[in-house]
Amino acid sequence: MSQDIAISARNLGKRYKRNARIDKHDSLRDVLQESVGALLRGGKAGKSSYETFWALEDANFDIRRGENVGIVGLNGAGKSTLLKVLSRITTPTTGSARITGRLGALLEVGTGFHQELTGRENTFLYGAILGMGRKEVESKFDAIVDFAEIGEFIDMPVKRYSSGMYVRLAFAVAAHLDPDILLLDEVLAVGDFAFQRKCMNFARQLEQKGSTILFVSHNMFSIKTMCERVIYLKRGRVVYDGPTDEGLKLYENDSRLQDAPWFQDDSAKASMAITDVKLLDENGKEAGVFDFGSRMKVRIHYRAFRPIEKPDFRVGINRSDEIHCSTFSTVADKVDIPMVQGEGMIELRTPPIQLVSDLYTATISVRERSYGRLLCAQIGGSFHVRHPVYASNAFGVYHESGEWRVPQPEQLSQTVETADGLR
Amino acid sequence: MTDASIDSPMMAAARAEPPVTDIVPSKGLFDLDLGAVWRYRELLLVLVMRDIRVLYKQAALGASWAVIQPLFAVAIFTVVFGYFAHMPSDGIPYPIFAFAAVLPWTYFAEATRRASTGLVDDAELVRKVYFPRLIMPVAKVLGPLVDFCIAFGILLIMMVIFNVPPTWKLLAVPPLILVATLLAFSIGLWLGPINVRFRDIKHTLPFMIQIWMYASPIVYPLSMIPDQFKLLYSLNPMVGVIEGFRWAVFDRGNPDFLVTAISATVIIVLLLGGLVFFKRMERSFADLI
Repeated sequence: MSQDIAISARNLGKRYKRNARIDKHDSLRDVLQESVGALLRGGKAGKSSYETFWALEDANFDIRRGENVGIVGLNGAGKSTLLKVLSRITTPTTGSARITGRLGALLEVGTGFHQELTGRENTFLYGAILGMGRKEVESKFDAIVDFAEIGEFIDMPVKRYSSGMYVRLAFAVAAHLDPDILLLDEVLAVGDFAFQRKCMNFARQLEQKGSTILFVSHNMFSIKTMCERVIYLKRGRVVYDGPTDEGLKLYENDSRLQDAPWFQDDSAKASMAITDVKLLDENGKEAGVFDFGSRMKVRIHYRAFRPIEKPDFRVGINRSDEIHCSTFSTVADKVDIPMVQGEGMIELRTPPIQLVSDLYTATISVRERSYGRLLCAQIGGSFHVRHPVYASNAFGVYHESGEWRVPQPEQLSQTVETADGLR
Repeated sequence: MTDASIDSPMMAAARAEPPVTDIVPSKGLFDLDLGAVWRYRELLLVLVMRDIRVLYKQAALGASWAVIQPLFAVAIFTVVFGYFAHMPSDGIPYPIFAFAAVLPWTYFAEATRRASTGLVDDAELVRKVYFPRLIMPVAKVLGPLVDFCIAFGILLIMMVIFNVPPTWKLLAVPPLILVATLLAFSIGLWLGPINVRFRDIKHTLPFMIQIWMYASPIVYPLSMIPDQFKLLYSLNPMVGVIEGFRWAVFDRGNPDFLVTAISATVIIVLLLGGLVFFKRMERSFADLI
């Protein structure tokens, strides 16, 4: 039985000192000051001043060979910590894990690439970093260059590469690692449209070969297509482990309302709070996927702890790569709200969605009209826009049809050829 | 990742015995797993090659820096100590007297510096990739050996110019430089992890190396040290290395076995203690760096 298990984790936990990562300039002076201070106070030096927290706690799971498992969770839920422990970058504080098979970890594309070196030199460097031998890289070299589509640029220093070329080469090397078990941290979404398709094909090939893939992503679409099982982490704990659909539903429910990271919450004197946000289709049903061109309703429940005059309700739309696409605002749309107080509800009906096919989140914020001061801000759930063709890689942020003046009939056949040439 | 062997891609799934890796919290104090360094020798080699390539790729004068640096130091020493201060040099022309010592010293200083700061310089790797952390100081002390070899060629040329006939004792140079390598590595084992925690090391290191240089018989001969301090003085393992170099190049006197034994003991203690210390600290590298 143990032959079929690729990864097995028992009571796996990782505790961090809270200061450890934040205080990067952990200078000797600070520590001396602290220990001297502790001595004077008569306490024990060191430890007492550090707050600790569990980034990962009591994780138990078995992953069978050939299984593809998605790991979901909000930021800071312990997803990356889990991958770091499994890839032995950091040691666990408690518990144990057993890895059966050659493991490749791709926590970042291009770690260790050196700007001064050529693409060829970096290929060998990166290959070795990922755990490939020189002979192995040599035998796969042509395939790597081919996959990366960089041709003769391979002998140019990578500092002259465009960011696209850089990432493509790095990914091409990683794609030829050929491990039994692959840990992926949000790295498949690189390059342009055509290259992404290649990446997905590569993942599928690995799958067919029987590789085990552990996959961290915020992109629910790719998790849905790649994984039959998800592990949902919440504040370091596994709160769900099972079939993908159910797990994602749970996760999406939980992530519907969370603090916007840029909002400074001095909750002691918070004057307003968003209590619920619902994304509805035109029939008033809750939805997570909207067709391109359909309208969306954003229903916001709020509670104002004091009377707020002329508030400005805003709904911002951000794409999954944190591009801020648009903002609806009651003030900009000249909607007059004299005052809000107590509990209430406000609903936005968007124009037909022209955003391209991708994952978006709606961020709700309320500002004081007179001073523009931010009263509250909340990330209010995510949704997909669906369209078979219009994707962000090829079509940018939004798509609207334009008017074209077409060439004369005798030139037409020529133009069709060029259009085909475009991907 | 424990298994660095090469398999054909298609065989991956059909392999008879997949490698098993156990991940557990903390290992015993003396579980050094030095074999891991050997298993990762390919990465070690690649890192050494990278450091060598990168160092000279952007410099206009390229690898000639390996020659210019020690020559420049010797020129200054010759003017200041040889010419103005009339420092004795055991009857050997001062420039080559100094160069025979500057040569191993330049290597040692550079290897120590890189071994101590290497983990932080490659923080990105430590944070995102698993490899036995020990290969970092190993790689860092191997890189400057290339510079050493180039500069050694200059020593041979100087020997011709200053009419110093080579003897079979020159064969002692490789084992002597190995001692310097081990010493630099041992110091890296101690200072590397401390530098991860306290970046102050990076700033204090130049002073320490400077002081250490004047505590070694580089600009002056060992014979200037009063006899009653000689044993204390030879606690500095570089004394043995540098005197060994002069002995190998100039064919004067005999190595002091007591001095050699003391140096060797100091290095062994530093090395073994450093290995245990490094392995103990390495668990937290990725968290702190």
